[in-house]
Order: sequence, then C-alpha cells, then structure tokens
Amino acid sequence: MSKIWVVIKSEYLQVVKKKSFLIGIFLIPALMAAMGPLMVLLASNSAGSTQYLAVVDQSGESVGQEFKSALERYKLDDGETHAYEIIGIIEVLPGDSAAFVSTVDSLTKALNDEEIKYFMLFRQGIEEADSNMALVTNSESFRTISRFEKVISRIAATMRLEKSNINLGIDSVLALTQRVNLPRRDAQGDSVNFDTKWGISMIFVMLIYFVIIGYGQVIMRSVIEEKASRIMEVLVSSITPFQLLLGKVFGLGGATLTQLLIWILMGAGLYFGSGAFATAINPGIAKIVFNPVVITFFCLFQVFGYLLFATLFALVGSIVNSEKEAQIFVAPVSILLAVSFAIGILIIQEPNSTMARTLSMIPIFAPTLMMMRIIFVAPSVTEYSFFSGILGEAILSFVLLLVATFFVIWLSSRIFRIGILMYGKRPTLPEIIKWVRY
Amino acid sequence: MHLELENIRKVYDQKVAVDRLSLSVPRGVIYGIIGPNGAGKTTTIRMIMNIIAPDSGRVMFDGKKADISFLERVGYLPEERGLYKKMTLRQVITYMAELKGCPRKTTAGRISPWLEKMGLIEYIDQKVEELSKGMQQKLQFITTIIHEPDIIILDELFSGLDPINVELIKGILMDLKREGKTILFSTHVMEQAEKLCDNICMILDGKKVLDGKIGDIKSRFGKNALQVEIEGDGSFIKQLPGVANLTEFNNYLEINLVDKTDPQSILRQMIEKVKVRRFELAEPSLYEIFISTAKLDPKELENQAGEAGV
Repeated sequence: MSKIWVVIKSEYLQVVKKKSFLIGIFLIPALMAAMGPLMVLLASNSAGSTQYLAVVDQSGESVGQEFKSALERYKLDDGETHAYEIIGIIEVLPGDSAAFVSTVDSLTKALNDEEIKYFMLFRQGIEEADSNMALVTNSESFRTISRFEKVISRIAATMRLEKSNINLGIDSVLALTQRVNLPRRDAQGDSVNFDTKWGISMIFVMLIYFVIIGYGQVIMRSVIEEKASRIMEVLVSSITPFQLLLGKVFGLGGATLTQLLIWILMGAGLYFGSGAFATAINPGIAKIVFNPVVITFFCLFQVFGYLLFATLFALVGSIVNSEKEAQIFVAPVSILLAVSFAIGILIIQEPNSTMARTLSMIPIFAPTLMMMRIIFVAPSVTEYSFFSGILGEAILSFVLLLVATFFVIWLSSRIFRIGILMYGKRPTLPEIIKWVRY
Repeated sequence: MHLELENIRKVYDQKVAVDRLSLSVPRGVIYGIIGPNGAGKTTTIRMIMNIIAPDSGRVMFDGKKADISFLERVGYLPEERGLYKKMTLRQVITYMAELKGCPRKTTAGRISPWLEKMGLIEYIDQKVEELSKGMQQKLQFITTIIHEPDIIILDELFSGLDPINVELIKGILMDLKREGKTILFSTHVMEQAEKLCDNICMILDGKKVLDGKIGDIKSRFGKNALQVEIEGDGSFIKQLPGVANLTEFNNYLEINLVDKTDPQSILRQMIEKVKVRRFELAEPSLYEIFISTAKLDPKELENQAGEAGV
C-alpha cells in the first residue's frame, strides 16, 4: 500500500508542478467563457445585411404588392434598416405564359449572378393551393422561410375571407385563430428554459470530456516513456505492476481533483465574493448549478469516468512501443467519447425516453449521457427517491460505472503487467487475450 | 543474503534462452556471469529480478522464493539504461530509493556524498536530460545502490563508460564488497571479469559451462599456458608438436600446451626461427579459458566486443 502512495505522490507532483497545469486551470474556463458568446451568436443566426429579392406576380390580385408591404416590418438588428428589399415586382397577365417564362429566365440569371438572393412566384389562386406559388433560392434560411410563410398565410387568409360570406374583419378572424404559446413550468413551479439547461449541460459534459482526454493521454505518455526508457524493468523489480497502474491512475486522478476543486473555489469565490456577479447570475442557472444532485453526480461521474478511461489509456500505453503506434488505439477510445456526445445531442430532445434511459446506463456513456439527463431533469423534481426517478437512475448508472471501472482496472492490470515488458512487435488481439488468462 | 538459482529454464518461441541453469551466489563475493552476446546472461538476470518468470526452476533468496520484499534488498542496473528525463537528479534518486522502500529522510543524507563521489554534485538540482550520456550512467548507478541493497546486480555495467569512470566504479565495487555486499554482474569482456571477480559462471547458449572461484578454475586448467613475445613470423608455432592451440595478438602469443609437453623444447624450436623477447609459463587467462571452453573463433568474440563499444 505504501508503495502505491509513493507512485501516487510522484505522479501527482510531476503534473501539478508543471506550468501547463497552471495554464490549464485558467485557460479552459477562459476558452469556455469565450465559446459562450460565440454560440449565442451562431444560434441567433442573424443576417448581417439587407437581402434583395424580386417578385413575379401573375395572380391578377396584387399579391406581390401586399407581400412587399407585409415584409417591411422585418428589420435588421439596428431596428431601422429593412431586412428584405424587393427590387421589383414584375406583373404578368394571368394568360401570358411566354412572358412568364422569359421573366423567370432573367430572374434565374440574376439569382445565379447573386444580384438577388430570392425570387417569389405568385400565380393565380394562391389561396386555393400552395402549388400556385414558389420561392426560388440557392441559399435557404430557416428564418426567412418561416417569415415568408407567416406573411403569405395571412395574405391568403384575407383572400379566402373576402371570397366567403363571413362578415367579419380580417383582424378579428386572425385573433380567433391565434396560435398559443404554451407556458411551461416544472414541478417546483419555476418556468423552464431549455436553452439554459442545454448550455449548462454542454459546459459540464465538456469539462468531463476534456479532463478524461487530457489526463488520459498524460498517463498513456508516461507509461510509454517508462517502457521506452526501460525504467519499467527497475520499476517492476521494486513494485508490482498492479501497484504501478493504480498509483499512476490515482496520482493523476488527484491532479484532476485539484483542478476541479480550484475551479469550484474560483466559481464560489466569484459568486459569494462579488455581489454584482451573484445578482447578475441568472436564477435559472443558479438553480441548476447549485442543485446538490447535479453537483454530487458531476463529481462522481467526473472522477469515475476519468478512472475508467484513464485505465484504458494506460492499457494502450502498455501494449505499444511509441506514441505514434498508440494513435491507432487512441482513436477508438476517443471515438467512443465523441459518439456519446453525439448521442447526447439526440437524446436530450426526450431526456426521459426509454432510449435515453437505457443508453445512459451503459458505463462508457454514463459520464456524458447520465450527466446531461441529470441536468435536464434533476433540478425540476420536487421529491427524490433513491430507488426510482432521476436520482434512482443516476445511482444505478453510477453503480454500473463503478463495477465497470473495477472490471477494467482488473483486466488492464492483467494485460499491463505483461505488456509493459514487451518490446518490439505489437501484440495481436489473441496474444492479449492469452495474457488476460495467464 | 544468499542467492540461489535452481534449474531455471526459459524458452522463447522455439529458442531455449536459458537451459536448466543452477547457480549459488554466496554472500560478499563479486560474481561474474560471462559469455558471448546472446548466451542468456540478460535473460538470467531478468529472471532473478522477477521481471520474467522462468518456465521451470526457482530463484531463491536465503532459501525462500523471491518476491518483492526480497527484491527491495536488491539493486538492479538493467542493460539498457534510462531514467526520468524531466526529473532533477535529487528527485530521481529519491523516487527510485522510495520505490525500494527507503524513506525520503534516509535518502536525503546519502544523495550529496554519492553525487560528490561521482563528480555530479554540481548538477544536483538540474534535470536528468541535461546530463551527458556517461553522466546519466553514473547517476543510474547511484540510483541502483542508494538504498544500500545486500545484493547488487549489474547487467553489462561497463558498456559505454570511459576508462576513468570504469576505474572509479571498480573502486566503488571493491568498497561495497568490503562492506559485505554481494555483487553479481554480467559482461562479455573477460579482462574486466578477470580483474574484478572472485567467482565466475560462464554461459554458452543458455547452458552453464564453467562455474567456480577464478583461482580454482585457472588451476584446473593447469599451468600449461605460455605467454610469448616474438619478433618475426610466428605462424609456424601452431604446427609444433605439443601445441594445443594458439591465440595470436600482434607480437604477442598465448599458447596452450598439450599436457606433459616440455616447454623447453618449444622454446628451443622457436629461437631457431624467430627472436624471442619474452617467454613465460603462466596460468591461462580467463580469455583463453573462455576460448578453449567455448571453442569459439577469437576473431568472432573480438568483433562482438567491438560492436558493444568496449
């Protein structure tokens, strides 16, 4: 036991004393802070400048003119400049198909030359069938389409109303068919903000991911170094390979804990130390971040997710001879993590679906998927049960992760003790399986 | 501590690396394992150090099966050298000693005297990677003995060291021996083994061919070796009656005689043809014993020594 402690201490100090450790402590939060506004910018998807378009109006009822005046209410961010500028409404008589075709041809050319971004075609009877109109463009934008659809729906509704016998003003009819915007509350009675949860879960999961990948590679490199420099021979005549493996994994694990602790202290210091920061922080964010279930499981999944993957990285280090060779093995481990990220984005649409529940129980996915689900569900629940609900599931998922971690450590130590003394040829899979049994 | 090997055997794929080797290394002696490259020296040492397990046979310390607690009392210098490059000298010595169960405080008092002795004291707080290769070897030697082990095992200790450092380390080994430490080292350079060892064990193709005190071995081979210095072409000597074999160095010859040959008759025949400057009846050198036992071509052995950079 005391030998493990010697290795833990040495590995810990080697990492913590490095400048890169100190830089990482400040750089990673800084990078994430910088990424926040960038994401907002991307999400807002705002068009920076006025978009030009043309209209071919064959409706015979001045639909083009109405479309133009309806679009005027969309402004750019400055609140003044029009978002859309119609450079021309070309009216064609309903029967004149030759003129229609030639107009469309010249507008298509203008579109290809990027003089205009869109052109709208209105034929007769847009209130009867959607096929009587079309939007032509080479660059679709979700927002533009939804705006155009909204505007044209209203024009068509007006036209239908005029042709019917209902004696009501258009505004009162539209008021009757007003779309509702469903207000949402959680069990605690607070309104729910999907974006906030999404942002926080991304930050937490990214922290877990960076720590696992970063420190995992550090362990792998240190094993490769000891193997290449043959220090390993002296090491294994002083301590058992199992002690060495555990010492390394726990030593670096201590470094990750130190980093986490510093971050938590930094955050707490900022929150309690500066009144301005505390008031500036969104209550929705505070509700999630300061939830005991979220904090507890963040720490547990961080630590044990790290242990699981770090052991795998150490294992990779023990069976290869150089860092270059290691890349072949690192790829699947990294892909596993990346895949869990991608799955996370999908299942978060429905965090309590059967698929989400099942996948978040699988140990290699648990640190990311279960963490996301906890962030989405746990802060809103009024009552926790150890055997059911989100807390029960989190505990089960964690226990499975724990079992898997010990299994991987056991398996790795079997392979590790032989791998670290094998030089030259990289072992084949059947050979590795033989080592486990030996 | 008394080290014993009992019939250890190791087979790699089809090749027998070590074949039923038994060895008894008493306390307080310098024991040399000699043999050409590929004879099985390093494999034997790795089995002693529990780095690889023998296919059969046992390694015993004081009559008990070797385990980590015994290995703590052993210092081991592997053939291929290496240390943590990013640590300082002080850190690396402390860490290696700690892994062998030697507390930091105890080590702290030993570091400076050793670095002083090795001429490395000025680098104590510099990183290992800043040292030259030869200095790193000396540092690794310190890490091998810093925990004051009872048995010191050195694989090809002198390879890559210059003559001054070879002398320095030889002196230290003699000191350690006087302190009652057992030293086991492997080499393919016979002159070193001859000067340093009390006992030797010669391995060839994984098998022990000779084992015992150097004096005993030499007297067993008898005083039938001639050391001769001549001027002129000595190639005829090989054909003289009574000459078993002959090793030729530039102007110096070592001649093994067939038993009961009269050296005087050899001398008589020689002075008829060449000028003899020195003629001495001596014990055979370890080198000669090695050659005659291994029935190796001496040129081949010299090539090997050359390749190993000695």
